[in-house]
Amino acid sequence: MSPRRPRLAIWLLTKRLSAEWREFVIGDLEEEFAMRSVDSRTAAHAWFWWQAVRCLAAPPPVQCGSSALEPSRGDSRMRTVVADLRYAFRVMSRTPSFAVAVVSVLTLGIGANTALFSIVNAVLLRPLPFEEPERLVRIFTRTRAGVPFDLSPGKFYDWQRDAQSFEGMAIYPCCGFREFALTGTGTARTVKATAVSARFFEIVRARPALGRVFRQEEDTPGGKHVVILSDRFWRTEFGGNPDLIGRRVKLSDEPYTIVGIMPADASVASWPPMAADLWVPLALSDEQRANRQNHNLEGVARLKRGVELAQAQSEMDAMSARLAREFPKSDGRWGAVVIPMQEAIVGNSRTMLLMLLGAVGLVLLIACANVGNLLFTRALNRRREIAIRAALGAGRARVFQQLLIEALLLATIGGALGVLLAHVTLSAASALLASHVPRANEISISADVLLFVVAVSMLAGMLAGTLPALRAGRSDVNAGLKGGGRGNGAIGVGTRRVLIVCEVALSVVLLMGAGVMIQSLLALRHSDTGFDPTNVLTMKVTVVEARYPTPAQRSSFFDMALQRIRALPGVEAAGTIDDLPFIDGSAQPVKREGEAEGSPREKPVAHVRRITPGYLRAMRIPVLRGRDIVESDRDVLLLSHDAARLVWGAEDPIGRSATLPLLSPTVVRQVVGIVGDVKQRDPSEPFTPTVYHYSRERSWSSATLVIRTSLPPTTLARPVVAAIHAIDPEQPVEDIRRMEQVIDSRLTSQRFSALVLGIFAGAALLLASVGIYGVLSYIVRGRSREIGIRTALGARTGDVLRLVIVEAMSPTLVGIAAGTIAALASARVMETLVFGVSASDPLTLAAVAAILALVALIASLLPAYRALRLDPVKVLRAE
Amino acid sequence: MWFKRKTPVLGDFEQLVLLGVLRLERQDSAYGAAIRQEIHARSGRDVSINAVYTTLDRLERKGFLKSWVGDPTPQRGGRRRKFYALRPGGVAALRQAYRTFTAMAAGLEARLETK
Repeated sequence: MSPRRPRLAIWLLTKRLSAEWREFVIGDLEEEFAMRSVDSRTAAHAWFWWQAVRCLAAPPPVQCGSSALEPSRGDSRMRTVVADLRYAFRVMSRTPSFAVAVVSVLTLGIGANTALFSIVNAVLLRPLPFEEPERLVRIFTRTRAGVPFDLSPGKFYDWQRDAQSFEGMAIYPCCGFREFALTGTGTARTVKATAVSARFFEIVRARPALGRVFRQEEDTPGGKHVVILSDRFWRTEFGGNPDLIGRRVKLSDEPYTIVGIMPADASVASWPPMAADLWVPLALSDEQRANRQNHNLEGVARLKRGVELAQAQSEMDAMSARLAREFPKSDGRWGAVVIPMQEAIVGNSRTMLLMLLGAVGLVLLIACANVGNLLFTRALNRRREIAIRAALGAGRARVFQQLLIEALLLATIGGALGVLLAHVTLSAASALLASHVPRANEISISADVLLFVVAVSMLAGMLAGTLPALRAGRSDVNAGLKGGGRGNGAIGVGTRRVLIVCEVALSVVLLMGAGVMIQSLLALRHSDTGFDPTNVLTMKVTVVEARYPTPAQRSSFFDMALQRIRALPGVEAAGTIDDLPFIDGSAQPVKREGEAEGSPREKPVAHVRRITPGYLRAMRIPVLRGRDIVESDRDVLLLSHDAARLVWGAEDPIGRSATLPLLSPTVVRQVVGIVGDVKQRDPSEPFTPTVYHYSRERSWSSATLVIRTSLPPTTLARPVVAAIHAIDPEQPVEDIRRMEQVIDSRLTSQRFSALVLGIFAGAALLLASVGIYGVLSYIVRGRSREIGIRTALGARTGDVLRLVIVEAMSPTLVGIAAGTIAALASARVMETLVFGVSASDPLTLAAVAAILALVALIASLLPAYRALRLDPVKVLRAE
Repeated sequence: MWFKRKTPVLGDFEQLVLLGVLRLERQDSAYGAAIRQEIHARSGRDVSINAVYTTLDRLERKGFLKSWVGDPTPQRGGRRRKFYALRPGGVAALRQAYRTFTAMAAGLEARLETK
């Protein structure tokens, strides 16, 4: 196959070269291009473009009679453009400060837009890194409340058996990775694994680089221990050794046979199951497969070719209705949802990103208004030059072209620097981005982004350049020549006022958005969660079951660890919980003791957490009635206030018993106390009814330590880990975080949008104040004669001040009024993104208006001072 | 005018192009790209294709070269080549230039040749 030709260059050449030369020149270039691309395609392209540019600049002459020897009448369009460009460069180098001002404003505007567009492009626009991603979907059940939810195995296997719309379906466990301790290599390390059902890799279309994927029979509990490695894990742990297939690796002290190695591009950071270090078969037992109660699996499926999403959805609806009739107890009123993969990964960051993209567009508009204003001033200062050109025969179009090209040149430089700025910003913020937006690892300044930059730069240049260029083209030759280019009298004041009104109005919208977002974030951070997150250190500890085979050994490990931690100086209380608040955890039905098994009333569902003594004290969750749990307790429950009401209604639950059928249908647990309500899921949601259970006989192997400290919690991280390693030096300790960090991790999208909007609003404010200052300085300079006469006639300081300040404030106030209307109109978009504050909050709006008025006032101080210092004698004599 | 001579003096680049044509015309492959590559390979000057054609055109108009159009070839996207060959005037001009150069350089070889 012949290499891809530089079509754009060929097209340009075809347009540029005369018919006489076109064929031979392009033919020659293509011929040599083909030769050169044997060595290097890139070099060949570069060479072709270099040749093409030179041909475009100076093509071989046209041969018609002897015309080549005569000068042509009028210059060709291309030639005037080149001349204008050359002139623009010269003008720029003559007044570098002006160029620097314009370019830096544009760089800021375009850079911000580029950075944000890179993010939007990677997250929303670019297809997912899967094969035929549009056919890949996530499947969920829909709860009775209508929320998409995880799958139960029973339901999944029914779906898989009956559904016709899909090429295949697969499942993997919800809620993060299965963690293995990588043992036998010296240091302890936890590796993240995804357990996947058969056909998972076929559906995702992840093909192994070496070996094979799992077989059907390996997805059974009797199957052998097999494992597939990720490219990353293979390289870091095994140095990329290609003879690994069939070898064994020890995971949590058990041998696993390596059957396959995935290539690097199979790893998808934004989708947890494909971000694992390794994969193992899910291998559910027959009993587990039949379970319809336990919703703890996530589903993925691939639509058959030609099947639409709506078709698949309606098939799933019909199937759910049938299953609901078949299994009224477990499946009654549950539905099914099919969601495109893209939507499932990007989720709710879509609205946020689009909102931010809109906001950054406003910043660019403000920047353009500023630049337009600067160019306008400049065009007016060059009236004499333009008049001379007009007198020598330059038409209006010609003058327009020249000024527009100057603006476009500035915008192009701004765009180039903007790309640089965006690149620097994105790489500096990469860590921040990774924790705040999905698909962050895919963010880059790609070809699409560069195209966007070119478009935005040209747009900015046009926006900022058109108005001044039009005005300048219209100016009167005679007046221009007479005026001698001295700025006597302010011209175009009306246009400038309009620019200020626009800048102020746009700033109001941005500041309002930022203000509301920041308030919302504060409201979320300070919302009453029911516990006290300050000075709390948390960390996750999972013991290897093979190392501590009996429950008693595991219990004693945790007891010993807690004992040692409590003995550390600075530790006030310490306990454990299975899943911290704001980390997804289990929600289960609660069955009151004595309630009939087949009771028609639906059992209440509460969040269920497993804790040990010390947890409530560490989190400062108050015991409202009854007592806290103690070490010696057996099978006891604590209910949160709401859970008590939910399960027992008005009755007093203390001393009563209940079972948690999903955990164990036979163990009867006694309620010993009622504790304060806590938010377990999200700070923006109401309190979560929660049931805490404890028993001194325990069999679990994983827990999150919660430690209340009197010292800054991070200073205790090292001694706590040391205390654990004193018991077992090979014990991994994960996720060491302050409780506040845990909460913050739930607020990432709010934090991100508040931060970015805040930066944008700050930039807008800065640009607006610079704009107001610039315009006002110009107006004061233009009216200096008038002010001088007034002063000479006895105007006092106050009168002159009033003159200037009224000049500044009147467009500002109009802008604030217009901006308020715009902000209220855009509040509808914001409403879905904020919590605890109205998007059209009048207090915020008032504050924003006040800030802008103040900024306008400050920006007018220097021009006002200058007006006051005017010496009437000098001003009048200058005329 | 008084300073205009019958056979105009060749410019430096014109000489290169004429020499290129002379080297290539015997294999019937004196066309733009080949001339460009020949100049590049021998003199090290990576000239642009438009310069080559501009010069070829000028030389043809001065009567030093004649040209004809070949058949289309696939590696050029079906485009034809324009071939050149020297006319007697071109050969004469080149001889003149060569004579001038060798005459002026005679006896200076030791100083002109590098290594």
